Amino acid sequence: MINHINAINSTLPSPTAPQKADNPGGGFAEQLKSAINSTNEAQVTADKAVEELHSGQGGNLHEVMISLEKADISMRLFVQLRNKAVDAYQEIMRMNV
Amino acid sequence: MDIFTSMQISSSALSAQRTRLNVISSNLANVGTTRTAEGGPYRKRQVIFQSSNESFAKHLDNANKQGIQGVKVAEIQVSQAPLQTVYEPGHPDADENGMVHLPNVNTMEEMVDMMNATRTYEANASAIQASKRMALKALEIGR
Repeated sequence: MINHINAINSTLPSPTAPQKADNPGGGFAEQLKSAINSTNEAQVTADKAVEELHSGQGGNLHEVMISLEKADISMRLFVQLRNKAVDAYQEIMRMNV
Repeated sequence: MDIFTSMQISSSALSAQRTRLNVISSNLANVGTTRTAEGGPYRKRQVIFQSSNESFAKHLDNANKQGIQGVKVAEIQVSQAPLQTVYEPGHPDADENGMVHLPNVNTMEEMVDMMNATRTYEANASAIQASKRMALKALEIGR
């Protein structure tokens, strides 16, 4: 058990180590931004598909429905992400200092 | 994302089946056509399907690794089966013996084909429903 914890410890950055500026993951803010972007992209694609169907520029009914579903799932995933972030924030704000 | 790969594949199948239904409609509509642009009576069309992974290029490497493929319509073939001939001397398109060549479309076969296309379409729509349900279930983990 202790060995396992030590193994985890060795992979984690030590608290005193300076934060790397060029984080390859991009950090939480970047991740959030890319999540927002991909969700927005799905919404825009779905919107465009509906528009094309309505204006009769071809496009199949099922393709429109699938892009709507994609947008829906992306949106739900993003809402879950937001809920988690807000939960974490509130948890920290509740902390007694 | 993997959940969208399965949706793309089902989408390609839905498109293919729609094309098939279009062709069947064309066959049924022209079941008695004796004059066409290319001359002679209408000949039955049939779709040839081919597996593909073109339509989901975004997920290509992932899908390729797993050998997953969608479907596309390779071509719409003109059937070379013999035409039906009916004795009808009064018909303007009858030949010198009074025989009229009618399209080689069999209504019964077309109906069976149509049922097949509809059921396949339904199956693929169900696959999309299932993959959507799985995604929503996964999102419920966070609640």
